[in-house]
Amino acid sequence: MPLVSALAASHAPNILLEPGSEWEDFMDLHYSMAPKGSSNRPTLEQQKKLRQDAEAAFAVLREDLERSHPDVLVVVANDQFVNFFWNNIPTFFVTVAEEVKGQFTRHRFQYRNHKELGNAIIRAGMEKGIDFSYGENIELQHTQNVPLYFLLREPSIPILPIYVNTWVDPAPSPRRCYQVGELIRAVAEQSKERIAILATGGLSHFPGSPRIGEIDEKFDHRLLEVLRDGKGKALADYSVQELLQAGDTEFLNWMVVIGAVGDAKASYTAYMPDFVATGWGFVSWRSL
Amino acid sequence: MSCYDLSRLLFDLKMKDSVYEKALTDFEDVMANYELTAEEKTALRDGDPRKLRQLGVHGMLCLYIKRLQPEFRDNIYWQQK
Repeated sequence: MPLVSALAASHAPNILLEPGSEWEDFMDLHYSMAPKGSSNRPTLEQQKKLRQDAEAAFAVLREDLERSHPDVLVVVANDQFVNFFWNNIPTFFVTVAEEVKGQFTRHRFQYRNHKELGNAIIRAGMEKGIDFSYGENIELQHTQNVPLYFLLREPSIPILPIYVNTWVDPAPSPRRCYQVGELIRAVAEQSKERIAILATGGLSHFPGSPRIGEIDEKFDHRLLEVLRDGKGKALADYSVQELLQAGDTEFLNWMVVIGAVGDAKASYTAYMPDFVATGWGFVSWRSL
Repeated sequence: MSCYDLSRLLFDLKMKDSVYEKALTDFEDVMANYELTAEEKTALRDGDPRKLRQLGVHGMLCLYIKRLQPEFRDNIYWQQK
């Protein structure tokens, strides 16, 4: 069966942090890497407005997801030193656990993991020359939890976390991520289940860098325009270095979903720079 | 130049409460459990993430040193992963 829904959304922690003291904490910590960045902090009213705008964007994505009646949601995200460290950095990792859980401040998350689909993707990959790492024990983190809070707060269906190394150099090429997406689409088409897919992360941001606070809005807008035109495959021509320069390496997660949707045009896009660190981006592909 | 042990210490400060608690009372003893150069130890004592980054540590791990500083100990960041 073809994929029934495809989505992409930012996972910036401050989307889910409460405006006010929690946002201030977030900025205090991140701006310790670049003190001058703290001169442009959004007001409490601006923070609340951003939260409202993000909730509105997530509401569109959630409605699209629910309307597709999925049996499982594949979640393509990156680890950020929670499950993987330099003793072992997988380029692509598929979760084959029975269940997955995690926590974000006062919010707890627990889902069944669709390990059968995970194993099908792993085996299909091995036949096609994409050798995934895999494992049974992962902890969900903000890269999954922030979007899941807004899209699948009740664990009504299983999920399948797939990790892309966007975080540690060297990272896979956009083209390779696109190929992983093509593989997932092929597995979905062989499945009797209704499979939805979500990419998280981005857009432009520079965490842990002296450039924290910079947002390459122009680059982000160009990415979204290409997706609206249904020409996402062209983005596979970018180099990792080009994405890195724009603060968009987490777009590699999105490239997997772009490979899965092929030439489909994005039916909905929204974008809001948070004035703190990140260009928040949201996309849905309704017609696949 | 590898800075595996320096990175590992910073990772453990966030991910292992036992390491964090021990570091609050005796950071020198915690550092002794990792293979660190004198320069790395100095940067850790200084607590400036920018200096740690100059030594080759991933930028996000550099921020973890802030957990030892009184004004950052209750930061919401440590309650999220």
